[in-house]
Amino acid sequence: MDANSRTKFEPWIMKVQKPTPPKLADWLLAWVCSEELLEEILGDLHEYFYDLTEISYWKRSLLYWFHVINFLRPFAIKRRKFQIPLINHQMFSNHLVLATRLLKKSKLFAFINILALSISMSVGILMILFLSDIYSFDDFQVHKDQIYRINTHRVQGTQGREVNLITSSYYIGSQLRTQVPGIERVLIMDADKLVADLKSTESAVAINGRYVSSSFFEVFSYKLLKGDSLNALSAPNGIVLTESISKKLFGDADPMGQTIIIEGKSDKKSRIVTGVVEDPPLNAHLQFEVLLSLHSLDQGIIEGETDGRNEPNATGDFYVYLLLAENTIKENVESAMVELIADHNASLEHPIRHTLQPMNTFVTSDIYYNEVGPRFPQQRVYIMMGLTLLILLSACFNYANLSLARALRRSKEVGIRKIAGANRFQIFYQFITEAVVIAFLAFVVALGLFFLMKPEFLNIQNLATQGQNIFSLDIDSIHIIYFLLFAIAIGVIAGFFPALLLSKFSAGNLFEDTNNTKLLAGNRLKRTLNILQFALSISLVMAATLVYKQYEFSLNFDLGYRTEDIVNIPINGDYIELLESEYSHLAEVRATAKSSMVIGIGGDGLSGGMIRSEGQEKPRPAFTGFVDKNFLEMQEFKLLAGKTFLDPLVDGGNTNYIVANEGLLKELALGTPQEAIGKTIFYNEKKVRILGVVKDFIDIGLTKKIFNSFVFVFPDGLEQYRSLAVKLRSNNLPRTIQKLDKIYQTLDPIHPFEFHFYDDQLANNYRQQKVIYKLISYLAIIAVGISILGMLGMAVLTTESRIKEISIRKVLGAGVANLMLLLSRGFLVLILLAGLIAIPTTLYLVNQMVLNEFLYKAEIGLIEIFSGFAIVLAIGVLTIGWQIRMAAIKNPVDLLRTN
Amino acid sequence: MGMKKQHIGELEELVLLIIILLGEEAYGLAIRKALQEHAHRTITIGAVHGTVNRLEKKGLLTSHMGGATDSRGGRRKRLFTLTTTGKKSLKNSRDLKVNLWMQIPELSLNLGS
Repeated sequence: MDANSRTKFEPWIMKVQKPTPPKLADWLLAWVCSEELLEEILGDLHEYFYDLTEISYWKRSLLYWFHVINFLRPFAIKRRKFQIPLINHQMFSNHLVLATRLLKKSKLFAFINILALSISMSVGILMILFLSDIYSFDDFQVHKDQIYRINTHRVQGTQGREVNLITSSYYIGSQLRTQVPGIERVLIMDADKLVADLKSTESAVAINGRYVSSSFFEVFSYKLLKGDSLNALSAPNGIVLTESISKKLFGDADPMGQTIIIEGKSDKKSRIVTGVVEDPPLNAHLQFEVLLSLHSLDQGIIEGETDGRNEPNATGDFYVYLLLAENTIKENVESAMVELIADHNASLEHPIRHTLQPMNTFVTSDIYYNEVGPRFPQQRVYIMMGLTLLILLSACFNYANLSLARALRRSKEVGIRKIAGANRFQIFYQFITEAVVIAFLAFVVALGLFFLMKPEFLNIQNLATQGQNIFSLDIDSIHIIYFLLFAIAIGVIAGFFPALLLSKFSAGNLFEDTNNTKLLAGNRLKRTLNILQFALSISLVMAATLVYKQYEFSLNFDLGYRTEDIVNIPINGDYIELLESEYSHLAEVRATAKSSMVIGIGGDGLSGGMIRSEGQEKPRPAFTGFVDKNFLEMQEFKLLAGKTFLDPLVDGGNTNYIVANEGLLKELALGTPQEAIGKTIFYNEKKVRILGVVKDFIDIGLTKKIFNSFVFVFPDGLEQYRSLAVKLRSNNLPRTIQKLDKIYQTLDPIHPFEFHFYDDQLANNYRQQKVIYKLISYLAIIAVGISILGMLGMAVLTTESRIKEISIRKVLGAGVANLMLLLSRGFLVLILLAGLIAIPTTLYLVNQMVLNEFLYKAEIGLIEIFSGFAIVLAIGVLTIGWQIRMAAIKNPVDLLRTN
Repeated sequence: MGMKKQHIGELEELVLLIIILLGEEAYGLAIRKALQEHAHRTITIGAVHGTVNRLEKKGLLTSHMGGATDSRGGRRKRLFTLTTTGKKSLKNSRDLKVNLWMQIPELSLNLGS
């Protein structure tokens, strides 16, 4: 392959007769280097470049660049004029004094600017900490930049859609270990967690564990407190406990070498403690309570006993982490993987593809099947960054806008400075200093605002898709540098345009005519920015309303069954019947029902089965829910025909009958519900009779529909049941829950009592939308606030500068209403234009990014469409109207006399 | 400025020696090559220029613009020669070291081999 690519590129090399040094490097050098030295330096560099004949062009260029950059030394750099004032301490302190005087003199101006900047900067601070939380994830891993995870890309299902998996196969992991050089360690982890009860002689505890290969502690940097990092996980019967689990099981006693019994759903094993590890830090993507040696499974996997788990095809079964050697190139390993599964791929219609994912993208990855640990998709990071940037720019624009409007007044000051000998850069520098001073003051306020917002923000809900919260928003010493740079950047951006414009004027022009057209040069730009600022506010308000509407709609959606007053209790043992009978004695309990799943909350516990009618060959998939006889009645599923499992014929568990949904009748062409009753179909190749038909209902949630058919089965044993639903009639819920808890404790001392209000579980389904809605509403409030402050400032300045006009018009007989219309017309046009831009764009974006996930969408009405526009317009009219009115109702004689 | 004795560093000393060695052809890149060849020291072109620039400011070197070649894109070289001060400070530096060497008793220079 290598030889191929070389021949391919050769003609291209031949064509280039004489490769020249990179032009950009020369240009950069010419720009920074002092002129008298440039000739000899460039000469030497070129000679050097042409001397290098042995190596490839890009390597020569790289070396060339290196030497060019190396010339950025004090002796070679051009002395520029503007370097003098930057270093000049006196001038700087003079500017500082001027800036503070200015703040004192025009308090309104200072107040508006500092407030608007600080509000937006508090969002900026939040964003800085937010980003640093995300990108410092897994930072405790010593080998963070050498650790990769193998991802799998393959076409699954009948629709031909490619899915991306975080998992890969045992096969590829074990092959890489022996066949491919440049890989220091391979770590294989079973995708199935161990969920079991751990028992020592003294106590018992429920845990989540992972089966990992013995290289675990060489790849990852979790701290092993006791035991030997190389051997702790190599014995097949070894187990490593976290510190807190060890405490729970053994107290302060030494757990090393102790025997532990693991009691799973169906089996019992004993293990010997070979290590104690510190609890995983919160910013670790991989969380666990115990680690078990994968060796205990290895033998079975290799010999292929366990359902072909050693096949290259079993790509959903294992996580494979690689610790690459320092100079290994990721792409080489990827192409090696292509070779390793080439034989296998040859037999597949859609080949399997493996890629390496570097550890620093684990949190922000867009690949999400079989995910382990929390995730905050990259796209969402970009959206949040974009919105923050817009809000910051909006506040900077306010500053620029107000400063420009005041420029008329300060133009005389500039003129005098210029006559006194200030050059253009000094004036520019003075205005930038002013802006930076204001930005620093705003930053202090912003920091205060941030501390007010922080708990609120952290409380919103877990922002990650699953797992623990990623964000702590703690301030470290490194952040102080970021903050300083941030404040300076904001000052420079805000002050740049006014400084540029004001410093441009020549002294003569300034005195000649204060209405100099040059002063208004920024006018078109200003108006455009104004429109964009309003559009941002309108758009954010609108987006918040749209998402909220969908959220409300989803919560109130008729699911096809009732969930009010129902509490679901997960069951981990064989005591469900006892618990149910104890509960049903309570006066507060209206009804109870056992089931294998909770319906409508994202597919938790739903299992699948295959169905076909008598004439059909090919079975189709359907969801299965195992329920007891009370379930359908208690949740009030709408029965269209036939009976539920309460029918005496069924008699305590009978898998010969099923209750189907309408979708199943359509899928198997069984006619109307009435016609379908009593018909037989094959369910998992077993003949069953349709006992009843319920109306179609939401089985997973409003965002997903996987199968059309749903089958309810009333099993004859208890082992399918994983959840007990209890319908309450209580006024004193806390007391009732306490009672339920107490009874539960007597039956299950190991697992803590968990209970979920059904309605909360449903709401949790849409928590992502709730998070988005909340975040956008905060941003909307902030954006609107900033534009209000901007409008207020503009209104004050407009009326001030047009005060003579207003007075004269009034003397000539114009009414207050008349004047207000005249003065606010321009601004109304701006809001109208902003609305025209914002409304369609927002509709499109919100649809694309949020609403399209839903199969059932709320109808978008006029209220949602015009919400943002109306709010911005109303606030704008109030602010500006108030200011203009203040001016308009004053006695014109007083105003004119003072001039 | 008084006649302060010029202190020269180790690299500066090497560069001065090499400029003498190169004679008529002592310019930036040639100095770099000679350093590589005779002293097994690889330094960046920028560092060479920095050093000669500094030496010239100290008054140990003078320079003039000389011949251009094709490989330099027609650009001229800056050729360096030592000033009297330069030569003197080299000699001083050598004398100082020789002096010190002479004062070390033979026995304390036991390098173990």
